[in-house]
Amino acid sequence: MNANIGILEANYYLPSTKKTLSQIFEDEEKPVEAFAANVDFEKDIGIEALHVARSETAADLAINAAKLTMAKSGIDPKEIDLIIDFTSIPEDYVAPTWSAAGQVQQEIGATRAFATAINTGGCAAYQTTLKVATSLMSANDRYNTALLIAGDKTPEFNHNYFPITVVSDGGSAVILKKNMTKRRILGVEVATVGRLHDMWIIPGIHNRKPEDVGGKFPRWLHVCGDIQRFNKELIPINLFMFRKVMLGVLKQVGKKMQDVSFFVYPTFSAWDLKAFCEAFGVPPEKLTMGGLHHGHLQETDMVVGYVDAINAGRIKDGDLVMLATNGAGFSWGASLIQH
Amino acid sequence: MKEPVGILAAVCHLPAHKRSVKELFQEEGITLSSEIAARLGIEQVPIRNGETASNMAVAAAREALQLANVDPMQVEVVVEYSIMPQEYLVPVWNMSNKVQAEVGATKSFVVGFSGGGSSNFMVALSSAVAMLSENDSMKTALLVTGDTTIPGNRILNPADPVTVMGDGSSAVVLQRGAPGGVVLDTELWSDGSNHDICYIPGGSLIHPDDINLYRMQLDKARYDAFPKGETLRRMSDKLLERAGVKFSDLACVLCSNISSEDEAAMQHAFEGNVSAVCASNRESHGHLQGTDFPLNYLSLIESGSVKQGDYVLGVSHGMGATAAVSLIRC
Repeated sequence: MNANIGILEANYYLPSTKKTLSQIFEDEEKPVEAFAANVDFEKDIGIEALHVARSETAADLAINAAKLTMAKSGIDPKEIDLIIDFTSIPEDYVAPTWSAAGQVQQEIGATRAFATAINTGGCAAYQTTLKVATSLMSANDRYNTALLIAGDKTPEFNHNYFPITVVSDGGSAVILKKNMTKRRILGVEVATVGRLHDMWIIPGIHNRKPEDVGGKFPRWLHVCGDIQRFNKELIPINLFMFRKVMLGVLKQVGKKMQDVSFFVYPTFSAWDLKAFCEAFGVPPEKLTMGGLHHGHLQETDMVVGYVDAINAGRIKDGDLVMLATNGAGFSWGASLIQH
Repeated sequence: MKEPVGILAAVCHLPAHKRSVKELFQEEGITLSSEIAARLGIEQVPIRNGETASNMAVAAAREALQLANVDPMQVEVVVEYSIMPQEYLVPVWNMSNKVQAEVGATKSFVVGFSGGGSSNFMVALSSAVAMLSENDSMKTALLVTGDTTIPGNRILNPADPVTVMGDGSSAVVLQRGAPGGVVLDTELWSDGSNHDICYIPGGSLIHPDDINLYRMQLDKARYDAFPKGETLRRMSDKLLERAGVKFSDLACVLCSNISSEDEAAMQHAFEGNVSAVCASNRESHGHLQGTDFPLNYLSLIESGSVKQGDYVLGVSHGMGATAAVSLIRC
């Protein structure tokens, strides 16, 4: 693998409209199942408000993020060789037939690029996409610059992802480039446990039930989680799988856990962040904590956490940064960035 | 020198049940004139009889691994290339996870691709080859798809039919160091201004509750205007030059099984070198989305018309709008 592929620029876009968590819980359906963790989902989550897109489409969110990132990087859109959409929830039209990648290509004028989308990994889609993008760039002399984009807009009354988190709308973009001396992607490790494939799904209009027609909630577009299986099958292996991918990527590049200067981890909830810190002995100052004020942003969490940490001066030159997350499917991913 | 990546095995798993195009046109209330019939060049298509897309994909994956004599535990990545909507909404759900579990490829991770239409297979192929050749810890990939057409939507663009879509699945086992079927290179292209040339508007965020819009729709004027043959020939010439292979060195070209009209455009662009297996498979199976290439590749190998060392070019254009070309050395 070409070890000189790195992150040239990254940024995100969040719609300005916000909705308080109390309003979200008031508006949306109340979960009836019990959550195995010893927490009060509504009180202990640590997120106070969510960003909510109004007239903007999911693709608009991705395009806005791409434009911000392109402007910040100063590169010509015609330099981009690859565009990969890593959005992890349904987009404006039905997938896998359609993806927003082509629309982004058109809107930013990346006329030389090839545009495609990766549709696996859930919130870990960022890691899966890093794996594919760096492999394609490493294997092909003609791919020097890649733009990774995502835009997530949840249906109006589906921001409550009980028992995991509450979700914001937003977009993110990352530009990868060859011949980087800083922010180099040293390695990516992804693991999937396919037997959990149907634990977290969105039914789709073809599975719509007659009682759902005309109601307040278009349930066929809402996530449905099997909470009993979540409690019994996911929670017991979650930290084991995180350990597996994190140690896996460290082994790939000959590093140890103590070499990691900073961790970027999803902002699912305050208790989940605490559990991660305790399990891996990560002190709070080495972990993204501030992102909770944005709410959880699916796969975009990885970009938000990374960008916010750089902007806050929490990641410095020479730091080794670990980005780790999990997502629907279920998949776990970890990547190492050398600053 | 990097070890080449090649095709160890390819399998198509198609429903045994078939229906005639004449019947399907009747069922969807479309007149099948002799002019349309000649333009399509499709007699019948396989239709699922209760099977789900993912179950067909699992069956294809199992057969491919068995044929390749590969233990599922050796698979490092499962790469999925479907085009049609799956049992649940993608990207939250993807059949690759189910395939991974059902075939027992527990050491692998999964990747799926969206938005490339019939080019998705070559996007998957190119990405899998890149992962296997660039990551020392990865040697074997399982590529898989299962596509079932939306009921009542088998004829694309009823006002002026473009193709008739069947149901089917396929799987391909790729391995670093495989003796044949070496994937030498792939060229990919997309035109974002045509991102909405073909899509399914209903049941999505833009049209969440209109079941009547849950149909694959095509902008025929823009589809016709898209220079498919010229684009694919230009890409092929570029790829062949990069690989140091002359056009005259090619044993044949494999294209998608969209219609006889589309094949005629490909024959024109590729100087009559499109293999006869494409027409034969098109007549008997119709358009099977990403499975068209594995089906045609298998037929070509089985026909005995290519020998080891021969060069075969696979070309495909899809919604997105995308185009893809892969060069394979048998």
